[in-house]
Amino acid sequence: MIPLQTSNTLPDWAALAPAIILAVTALALFLIDSIDPNDESPSMLAGVATLGSVLAMVVTGWYLVAGTGMPRTGGAIELFSGQLVVDGMSLFFTFIFTSVTALVCVASYDYLSGRPNQAEYYALVLLAATGMSVMASANSLATAFVALELSSLPSYGLVAYLKNDRGSVEAGLKYFLIGAVSSAVLAYGISLVYASAGVLELAAIAEALGAGIDNTGVLGVGILMVAGGFAFKTASVPFHFWAPEAYEGAPAPVSGFLSSASKAAGFVLAFRVFVTAFPLDVVAGTIDWALAFTVLALVTMTLGNFAAATQDKVKRMLAYSSIGHAGYALIGIAVLTGTADQSYALGASMLHLFVYGFMNTGAFLFVALVEYWGVGRTFEDYNGLAKQAPVACFAMTIFLFSLAGLPIGGGALSKWALLSATASAATLSAYLLAAALIVNSALSLFYYSRVVKAMWIEDPAGDFEVSSYPTGLYAAVVGAAIVTFLLLPAFGVVSGTAFDAAAALF
Amino acid sequence: MVSAFEFVPAIAVLPLVSFVVALAFGKWMPKKGALAGIFATVGSLLISIWTALTVAGFLGSETVYHAELWRFATGIGTFNLHLGVFVDPLSSLMLLIVSLISVLVFIFSLGYMNDEDETGLPRYYASLSLFSFSMLAFVFADNILMAFMFFELVGLCSFLLIGFWFREDAPPSAAKKAFLVTRFGDFFFLIGVVGIFATFGTGLFATEAGFPHMAEQAITGEMPGPVGEFLSAVGMGAQQWFTILGLLVLGGVVGKSAQFPLHTWLPDAMEGPTPVSALIHAATMVAAGVYLVARMYGFYLLTPTTLAIIALIGGFTALFAATMGVVKQELKQVLAYSTISQYGYMMLALGSGGYVAAVFHLTTHAVFKALLFLGAGSVIIAMHHNENMWDMGGLKEKMPVTYWTFLSGSLALAGIVPFAGFWSKDEVLYEALIHGLGSPVLLVAWAMGLLAVFLTGFYTFRMVFLTFHGEPRSDTAEDPESVRWNVKLPLGVLGVLAATIGFINMVPVAKLTGLKIDFLHKWLVGGEVLNAEFLTGLEHYEPILKEVAGIKASYIAGGEIPTLLISAALSLGLALAGVGLAYRLYAVPEPVAHTKKLGGLRTLLMHNYYQDEYQVWLAQGVTLPLARAADTFDQGIIDGVVNGISSVSLFSGDRVRRIQTGVVSNYAALLTIGLALLLIVFGIVGGWF
Amino acid sequence: MGNPWIAIGALALVGLLIPVGMMVISKLLRPSVPEQGKRSTYESGEVPTGDTRIRFNIQYYMVALLFVIFDIETVLIFPWTVIYRSALENGVGLTRVLAPMLVFVGILVVGLGWAWRNGAVKWVRSPRAEKRKDAR
Repeated sequence: MIPLQTSNTLPDWAALAPAIILAVTALALFLIDSIDPNDESPSMLAGVATLGSVLAMVVTGWYLVAGTGMPRTGGAIELFSGQLVVDGMSLFFTFIFTSVTALVCVASYDYLSGRPNQAEYYALVLLAATGMSVMASANSLATAFVALELSSLPSYGLVAYLKNDRGSVEAGLKYFLIGAVSSAVLAYGISLVYASAGVLELAAIAEALGAGIDNTGVLGVGILMVAGGFAFKTASVPFHFWAPEAYEGAPAPVSGFLSSASKAAGFVLAFRVFVTAFPLDVVAGTIDWALAFTVLALVTMTLGNFAAATQDKVKRMLAYSSIGHAGYALIGIAVLTGTADQSYALGASMLHLFVYGFMNTGAFLFVALVEYWGVGRTFEDYNGLAKQAPVACFAMTIFLFSLAGLPIGGGALSKWALLSATASAATLSAYLLAAALIVNSALSLFYYSRVVKAMWIEDPAGDFEVSSYPTGLYAAVVGAAIVTFLLLPAFGVVSGTAFDAAAALF
Repeated sequence: MVSAFEFVPAIAVLPLVSFVVALAFGKWMPKKGALAGIFATVGSLLISIWTALTVAGFLGSETVYHAELWRFATGIGTFNLHLGVFVDPLSSLMLLIVSLISVLVFIFSLGYMNDEDETGLPRYYASLSLFSFSMLAFVFADNILMAFMFFELVGLCSFLLIGFWFREDAPPSAAKKAFLVTRFGDFFFLIGVVGIFATFGTGLFATEAGFPHMAEQAITGEMPGPVGEFLSAVGMGAQQWFTILGLLVLGGVVGKSAQFPLHTWLPDAMEGPTPVSALIHAATMVAAGVYLVARMYGFYLLTPTTLAIIALIGGFTALFAATMGVVKQELKQVLAYSTISQYGYMMLALGSGGYVAAVFHLTTHAVFKALLFLGAGSVIIAMHHNENMWDMGGLKEKMPVTYWTFLSGSLALAGIVPFAGFWSKDEVLYEALIHGLGSPVLLVAWAMGLLAVFLTGFYTFRMVFLTFHGEPRSDTAEDPESVRWNVKLPLGVLGVLAATIGFINMVPVAKLTGLKIDFLHKWLVGGEVLNAEFLTGLEHYEPILKEVAGIKASYIAGGEIPTLLISAALSLGLALAGVGLAYRLYAVPEPVAHTKKLGGLRTLLMHNYYQDEYQVWLAQGVTLPLARAADTFDQGIIDGVVNGISSVSLFSGDRVRRIQTGVVSNYAALLTIGLALLLIVFGIVGGWF
Repeated sequence: MGNPWIAIGALALVGLLIPVGMMVISKLLRPSVPEQGKRSTYESGEVPTGDTRIRFNIQYYMVALLFVIFDIETVLIFPWTVIYRSALENGVGLTRVLAPMLVFVGILVVGLGWAWRNGAVKWVRSPRAEKRKDAR
């Protein structure tokens, strides 16, 4: 491996290669579609999209291994006068986005077969992924906002992709409207922060605030509104309302993409902005944002899980459970106070998002598979599915139990890491978070098991026959299951990178 | 040369293999799994013999063996849990007995089960093999946890076998009763096991690292560190705490060995197939309890209170069960009560310091009780499964082999010289007497045991005379079904043994003549290694008995030999008197039920002193309301809380669902309200205004 | 002295009071003559047909969107052109000055080409409007 920084084999801008590859792939797809607007070769479109995302993933992986932007090779790489930064954390999250994108592209090949506008679909997915990877690298509030919009706008379109499906269109519109409100909140928040600090670059904000805060009110409202904007992206309460509708109405691969990658993108932005621009010791007199995130985490995980428990459609249940998981991931930023091992806490959240990227995408892709078969959406419709498709149902069982935190996939270890992060914080609010995590995980086991029970134990209601076994969807589902499972033994490998990346931020 | 000790685990593993084979392939095998069992147990028997010869010192210098087989839990900073093998004179003797009886029971089953065309034979032989496996592994267990595990497995097998005919009414309920009653005792045993591990950090029976030795050190003054810490944490003296531990373990013993008051399962267990009864009573389940006390005798010796309780329970049970045996009408019921009574003797012996006597009686009893049960089985085959003795009579001419072997067993049970039972029972009573002279409690126990001798002689021969003598009292008895070699062979072997096995320890003869023919005594004394290193030899026990337990021998009529003679004469005389009374009453052509003369007492005896009724009352009148209260608590409060939580979750989940109205302007409003709330709260907290 | 927020609050209050005040005052002052014609959508004598809530043709939006995109492009190109020459004169390389804008325009060209090929600028008649016309 060539450590990029020390040998200077590549120019600095090459550190942005993953984002560039994604963007170029999206443009290539537009070009292909301009030449052939009737989508006559869907396999080529899916192939190009998959190739682009896999290439971006490989490059990211290579950078992670080679140590690009990490302390051992000379520290973070700043680009465009510090507007963008490439470091361990941005690469770690880019890896999540690109791998989820690859899974979604592979799965979409079968899901989209026979539907119009496939090129646009893949192009939007890749554009959103580009936006996310820029979000991971954003080092100023301006780029953060632009990147966030770049990932959001294609998402609105993707949710409404099924043009003739009322649910899909309605979900897209709701997502768009709530997104617009949230963007307004975020933009207003940024403007207030700018009013207090006079700069937009994250490190510079911290420096400016450290020199003295004139008007705590303006800054406080600004910080809280910025947090609100990120809460929209991560689907945290009270900005979560779009999530159940959008995830349920969207095509299932898009739901998986949004609930895993898009959520992780929101988190990376929140991590970087709050740790770099608003260090707690600097803004302590203004707002204790760790407390704010504690409240958000508690409410989010509880509300998500409680609502999930009463659903009767699997996809909607997964949507609410996804809100619950956002609550878990918020723990990492909520315990960044006092005695906590800060890089450990942040690393634990990163790990949870990493594992979640695979297990949750896998679960939604399984739903995509079921939608492909036309089975139905409720728990009852899943009855006896394991008799027809044991491999896919086995994979789904791994996803669900891993989501619940049983040691059958990496989910158990990442939840454990979150728990020990709360333990290291050792404050009352941290213990509250730990208790909520445990109670909610127990509750989640209840509704996840309902799906497993339906698939394996119940007898099928009608005489439904699974007619075909689509290769792409199967490959994506099984691949995600294998990674989810492998993250159990290989957790140590990933966790080292995550903790190092988190430590570099402080 | 290969040591037999290397093969000791195979003694237990062979029946385990046969269990698997019989279960999996029994259906297709010629004798439905019997052959696998026979081969396995014969193999076990051969290795047991080889082991015994090695222990005896004929085959090399190494005579004791201890090895860890498999450590299944390694503690960090605390104790380990493992399976291990410990072979010393006691366990090798027991291995021999168990495997011998198992072989014979398997062979007998060919006649009792296969020839009667029973269904479900693979299941039967599989359970039987598992039974042998569990008992053999229990016998060579080197620590109390392993012993407990196999103790429980023995209980499970008894459940399976007693309830073998599960389609009828009585066997399943008897199986449940056996299981539940013994489980009640095992509950205490389990607490005892945990207590022992917590106190000593080990469950080893032998060696200086074992818990009996640590307990001994604790009492004699050199307190081992961890034990001292534990005791000070508990806040009790060593003696007091060890007594509690001993009594807890004794709970399991009382349950398994059917001692008062947990004996009630055993008569009901007669519902199982007769060969199973033979195995349960002679060699496996019931023997397990007494064996356990003998195994950790070094520990019990340290607590005189426990010893006295053991002796009292034993003596009382011996008498108590014998009185009930007097009035029973079914052949196997009589034998069942005699089993309870005989195990009472063993407990009496153990409690009064007669270690050798107890083991001796365990050995002889295994032989003659197996014989009696198999004989009874033979009679039952002949009588087409009618067990009422009043329907029998005159079977002596029809089935001579059964009669003569059964007679041999009965003479042994009654304790008539020179049959096996005489020597062992005499030694039990003698030990109880000489130790009891210095201790009134033991003397009371001895008196009860002595009285039971008379009753034993009486009910045994009442049974013999009613079954075999006189005129046939039913059509079946006129023309009984004949039995084959596979019934007669085990009877023959055991018949000869019942007459002769007592010669291994003829203490009175040895004492009178000065000949060194008390072989069993010498066997249990063991070699130097056993006493110095493994600390389970008699030479190690005797000083503790005298010094710690304070049980010393004293004699009447001027010395050891007169006392011995008086004791022997007393027990023999009483036994003969019992036999004589039975002869006078029942050895007539047309015997009548003299027990009617007992009047109300008979009713009491027939109802087993209302033991079942009082236990049922205990269960229904006391336990059930308690259980109901607990259930109310559980259902109402615990479940209520749990259900409450779940319904609160579901309800609030439902509320949350309602918030999600689907109207996007509501969402925008709620979102704004949420943000505004956050702003207001943090604004006030942060003092922005 | 005093909380600076008071000024903002006062401004908001004034902002509310002025329009409300005007409406209230005119309500008090004007004579009330209810008449049918005053309640129609247009007080110009034209009788309106149908509802105001009709669907506009999607093409309006397409054109509007394209216009907005190129409008913003122009906004970004203006400052670039302003500094272009002076940057070159001050020794910044040609690629460094030209390439970013070429990439930016190139991306937009790809988008425009795609939109063109997919018929975004082709004014098609809505099938429903055609149908209505035929029915009339």
